[in-house]
Amino acid sequence: MAILLSRRSNLLAVVVLLLCQLFLYATVSSSGSVLKQGGGEEFSEELLLKPFPDRKVLAHFHFQSRAPHSSSHGRHHHLFPKAIAQLVKKFRVKEMELSFTQGRWRYEQWGGFDPLSSNNAKPPGVELWAVFDVPQSLVDVYWRNLTHTLSGLFCASINFLESSTTYSAPELTFKPSFGNLRYGTLPREAVCTENLTPWLKLLPCRDKAGLSALMDRPSIYRGFYHSQRLRLTSSESGSDEVDSGIGLDQTLTVVLQPSSWRTGKTYSVETNIQPSWSISSIFGRNIPGKCVIAKSSNVYLQLDNGLVGELKNLERENAKYVANTFESEGFQSNHAFKISVTPDKVFEEVDNLHGKSTSVIYGFSVEKYSDSQPFDLGLTWKIPVVWSCQQAPLHASRFLMGSGNERGAIAISLEPTESSEGLPTSHIIDGRCELRVDIFQVVPWYIKVYFHTLQVFVDKQPRAMADVVDKIRVSPSKDKVSPGVMEMILKLPCGSKSAAFSLEFDKGFLHIDEYPPDANQGFDIPSALISFPSFNARMNFSEDEFLNNSPILSKFQHALQRHHHYMHSICIVFWIIAQCASEAC
Amino acid sequence: MLADDMACNARNKYPAQVFNNENHKLNLYGDNVEVDYHGYEVTVENFLRVLTGRHEAAVPRSKRLLSDEGSHILLYMTGHGGDEFLKFQDSEELQSHDLADAVKQMKEKHRFKELLIMVDTCQAATLFSQLHSPGVLAIGSSMKGENSYSHHLDSDVGVSVVDRFTFYTLAFFEKLNMYDNASLSSLFTSYNPTLLMSTTYYRTDLYQRKLEEVSVTNFFGSVMETIHTDSAYRTTHSRKTSETKMPLQESVKHDERRQLINSNVQDQTSDTKIEDKQCPFTRRWNAFQDKLEKIERIDSLVNYGFIIMFPLLLIIMFPLLLISTWLLPTFVS
Repeated sequence: MAILLSRRSNLLAVVVLLLCQLFLYATVSSSGSVLKQGGGEEFSEELLLKPFPDRKVLAHFHFQSRAPHSSSHGRHHHLFPKAIAQLVKKFRVKEMELSFTQGRWRYEQWGGFDPLSSNNAKPPGVELWAVFDVPQSLVDVYWRNLTHTLSGLFCASINFLESSTTYSAPELTFKPSFGNLRYGTLPREAVCTENLTPWLKLLPCRDKAGLSALMDRPSIYRGFYHSQRLRLTSSESGSDEVDSGIGLDQTLTVVLQPSSWRTGKTYSVETNIQPSWSISSIFGRNIPGKCVIAKSSNVYLQLDNGLVGELKNLERENAKYVANTFESEGFQSNHAFKISVTPDKVFEEVDNLHGKSTSVIYGFSVEKYSDSQPFDLGLTWKIPVVWSCQQAPLHASRFLMGSGNERGAIAISLEPTESSEGLPTSHIIDGRCELRVDIFQVVPWYIKVYFHTLQVFVDKQPRAMADVVDKIRVSPSKDKVSPGVMEMILKLPCGSKSAAFSLEFDKGFLHIDEYPPDANQGFDIPSALISFPSFNARMNFSEDEFLNNSPILSKFQHALQRHHHYMHSICIVFWIIAQCASEAC
Repeated sequence: MLADDMACNARNKYPAQVFNNENHKLNLYGDNVEVDYHGYEVTVENFLRVLTGRHEAAVPRSKRLLSDEGSHILLYMTGHGGDEFLKFQDSEELQSHDLADAVKQMKEKHRFKELLIMVDTCQAATLFSQLHSPGVLAIGSSMKGENSYSHHLDSDVGVSVVDRFTFYTLAFFEKLNMYDNASLSSLFTSYNPTLLMSTTYYRTDLYQRKLEEVSVTNFFGSVMETIHTDSAYRTTHSRKTSETKMPLQESVKHDERRQLINSNVQDQTSDTKIEDKQCPFTRRWNAFQDKLEKIERIDSLVNYGFIIMFPLLLIIMFPLLLISTWLLPTFVS
């Protein structure tokens, strides 16, 4: 009996030991697997290239990072930048967009209707807007602290937006936010390498690998327009949205001119042909493979619908080139252009509401390229092609009227472009065809606007305000406290040839220390924002399931309902009038 | 603090590039530059706030000078200046007594141990004439009544790209090897008044140490010698090959190591004499410890230990497993 017992205890001990070992292995392997998964964070990078009709090329980088909600993941981040996650948590940011831009987006040549220009044409300088998840009384305090933190993070003077003379709270023309939205711009802020450096540090691969390795600083800042943008969305867990957590979209939009001497073409023969370019000729570098941590890494080449229509027309005219048509599979050798790499996927836009030709996007995957075999995409034009990009429904411009140091007037003029000829029938409301236009304008306090002098002209005839203006919200400026905000929702009759508004103002008196050090340059009035809510800047593609994984293309599909059309800021020159008020002068 | 945006200025023919020489060999603006205060933020008030640390609560850490009582600070100022002032932004000036007061506050709040102020403006030496805090060293490019001049004009960019004082300071550093031990006095005496077209002047009355003993890396950033390894734990790469690459300055340490080894040998010989008197266990334990101390590659030993452990475990567990599987059926039956 005793021997049996000892054997049993021996057996039990061995079994327990084995179980312990198994348990140990199980825990080790599970923790290892959790570490490998990365906690559900994702990162993807994309680049979109697009030729413009005025011999320039657009390069649009899009980096998207997603992190699931933090309560389930503590404070460990694998791909997502910790600085942003801490910012979202500390300032209870629900949505935020910060953009640094230099240059002006030329709507006439570069288009105003496609999703890219709607989302990425930004006013020059710094623009920041944020929606907070705090009670309305605390929003201003949180806004101030946010501006300071962002100025430290991005090496910019965003802290100037803390003073109430620089920011405003739009309600009508921006997204609905119930008073928790603050909007501010710094039109004169210079954007340079020091703003790009921390922006790139938020990416998991920095600028060492993947698409961000293309960013040659002199090439970017030599462009005609460059805009780096950061868009944050944060949603609470338990909400209805599929992707709760923090989403970070970083985009860099650059318009570059490929230099003709680099491609070695002689000037006299090829004056009408668009310059041929390649990634290495416009950036000076190739793509050395993808960022290993990225879920997907793609390059797209977009030919917009104006260009596709023009190519098809040219084909029809030159019937002898029927063998190599645009629609056939020989994309690489076409009669009009040649692409140096075979595309992996081709997307064609479908159901274009405007009945014109559809745009085409070629997709290239960077996965199979590496350091030894870098990716370089080139486009060579064979024949001269002239086309125009699709314009926004109305062309808006803003200018100053009057002269002298005492008073003046701001005028906004809206003129239709050719795309407004075929307006969709959804605009017909109550039997009248109307075009809805939203205008949002902020002027600094020293431009003392008299809102009662607002005059409306339609087809160069003065009209009553009630005819054209549906809603208007005005927040008059207070000297040295708050700027003047004007938000207008207009309903213009469809057949109108032009519309204009004018608003008179007095120039306020500034003390000598309120002038900036370079006062002779004048003051910049921030850009106004014009939206067309009834138009969809949306592109639908035939292959849907692939597109949901691609940030750029899914943005094209679910584009904002409204176009944002920024007018450039006006510069007003104030002459310094120093007055001695006391005998001590 | 950069007041003007030079690199991305619309008038700059070379965007995002700032050169200090007309040969355009070195782009000072680089790829990873970060500027904390630029544009309209460069004011005398912000400068004094940075020095004294008296910021508003919301100011982020990257815009503060996070120094303590052991810090060595280099303060380099250049621009337009004159008798007892430095011009900021064409609209205000920093005066010498303001600077002296700020440095005094810094010293009282223990915000630095040593401070080097270099000024490259006209009549630069007057800017630090009012300083009276200990631990401060200052050098200016010109004395009262003298101008400081630029070195050369880059006709491609269209502006003068470097001043004479800065140019010769850079030339001094470029002549140095990375591991040279140049002293501050060699830097301060390297300036030639004929080449500079002005007389440099430096103050050492507030600085306790002798300039000949202070190396330039005290203020101008230091370089640590790093040995690059391919993997975290090396089992085959011997240290001897890396030792031969060490430059002459490290030979001192080499000798020291040899001496240590010698002393170990001596200890061993002494130990052997005592050995006979000790009991076998302590003798073996001491020998084991000596062997452990002699092992230079402890990491490889640990690796070997791990590698040996697993087969050992298996060997130990195997009979147990056998026994259990053999016992169990017999027991059950």
